[in-house]
Amino acid sequence: MIKALNISHFYGKEQVLYALDLEIKKGEFVFLSGDSGSGKSTLLSCLSTLLSPSEGELFLEGQRVDDIVDIDTFRQNKIGFVFQFHYLINYLSVFENISLAALQDKKPNINALLKELGILDLASRYPNEISGGQRQRVAVARALINEPIVIFADEPTGSLDSRNSTLVYELLSKAREKGTTVVLASHDLHVQEYATQMIKMRDGKIQ
Amino acid sequence: MISFKALSKNPFKSFLIFSSITIAVMAIFLISSVSQGVIGMYSKMIKTDGDIIITQKGIADTFFSNVDLGLLEKINALAHVKSSYAMIVGASPVGHLPIAGIYGVSKNHLNHYKLFKGHYPKEGQVLLGKTIAKQLHGRTVKIGNRRFRIAGAYKSDIGFEEGGVVMNIKDAGELFSRSASFILVSTDAPNNTDALVEKINKLDDEISVKTTQSFVKEYNQFKIIENSSLVISSLAFVMGLMGIASVMSMIVNSRKEEFGIMRALGKSRMFIIKNLFFETLIMSFSAYLFAFVLSFLILELLPHIDTLQGYMSGSLSWDISLYVLASTVVMALMGSLIPAWIAAKTDPVLLINQGCS
Repeated sequence: MIKALNISHFYGKEQVLYALDLEIKKGEFVFLSGDSGSGKSTLLSCLSTLLSPSEGELFLEGQRVDDIVDIDTFRQNKIGFVFQFHYLINYLSVFENISLAALQDKKPNINALLKELGILDLASRYPNEISGGQRQRVAVARALINEPIVIFADEPTGSLDSRNSTLVYELLSKAREKGTTVVLASHDLHVQEYATQMIKMRDGKIQ
Repeated sequence: MISFKALSKNPFKSFLIFSSITIAVMAIFLISSVSQGVIGMYSKMIKTDGDIIITQKGIADTFFSNVDLGLLEKINALAHVKSSYAMIVGASPVGHLPIAGIYGVSKNHLNHYKLFKGHYPKEGQVLLGKTIAKQLHGRTVKIGNRRFRIAGAYKSDIGFEEGGVVMNIKDAGELFSRSASFILVSTDAPNNTDALVEKINKLDDEISVKTTQSFVKEYNQFKIIENSSLVISSLAFVMGLMGIASVMSMIVNSRKEEFGIMRALGKSRMFIIKNLFFETLIMSFSAYLFAFVLSFLILELLPHIDTLQGYMSGSLSWDISLYVLASTVVMALMGSLIPAWIAAKTDPVLLINQGCS
């Protein structure tokens, strides 16, 4: 489902990823772990098409990413993201934030999804009017709305307490049960409980 | 929809852009309108009073011109001369006011000033313009070293005149030591003034005779005012537009994180550019309209401020208004869309990280 061949990346002259080869199968819950600076966020960004790798090739669902003409539409249709900081747009309400990400035919499902995640009552509130845990649940809802084939999550619980962290892991785990592949980068070893595949990074290489 | 939300939910940023555009546009409007107003008032004063103007040859300013009053008789004797009158234009301290325009006019032209109080002045008397009359009290007023009796007050459509003092040309001649600043001639053949100009020119070697139309076009003082105002308003314009472009650019750069998130969510570059385009259009157009209305009100108010003695006046011309509107919108769009286009081409994750830094 995801295949990376010989992926390297440089920030200026500094190399942060070293010729990585990687394959992730459909329906996996991949736990990408490693110390700070090990390159896991950069790898996640490359795998999720948010960052063009300096070298190497990436295939998603058999398609070579560099050959995809409309990468924006591909991203909206196939990929969901959850970041460490919720990255909701501050001038849009919870409903509007999700609606912004939603494909036209998925917009009618927003309220049902919010209800499923227990945040329907927050629909008209703005990001600065809700708690950190609630914001991250909204971010998960935004990632799920288009029923993507894969969700990438970069330290999604980095700023949450353990109760809210567990809630986020469970939401992602439920998505995996429905067939969505999850790739999650984190320091939190609790992710192991949900993971089906572990990738450990060190100094820009897979151990 | 998103454009409106972005503006209304970020009131400080919106206010900053709105204010900077408003101030820049107002500066352009006020500087150009006031300088055009000053020229307009003086031109109107000359153009409405005659078809031909006679000044001293080679002078840079009518203030320094000295024409022999005796010419009036010779001019009146020429064919196609309907009427003629002489005038002295000067400036002097009047009462407690440091400076005011003084108009010494021939007796036959005194009725040009519409009396609303008193009578036309005899020797040793003056008429006060409506604006200056509000600031001078008493029966007499000191002008230069002489004291004059106030005979009455007059109204005029020209701010310059309402802020000045009218007296007989003889008194003005003594005050400014000259015969006349210029002579204005009306003709009964306004379509054939060239022949009359030529005839008048032959009357005296020391005079310059022109139609009032060409005088206004060629008058050095107007050129100086026009050129200085052009330089000042151009500088204000350029600086204002640069300000608009840089504020827009700063605002766009501060929103890189937002653009990164949108790109990560699959929104296209065009979606981002389109929304920013509408935001900029809404903001620049509404700020322009606000500045236009505010400038209009200020320009309407200026002639009624007594302390300005009616010397400040101006009106917004359509060509300047449209030019400023087009430039404002174009610069605001350039200031926002160029950095947005560059940002939209960057990898989303880099935008998000740049936005956080």
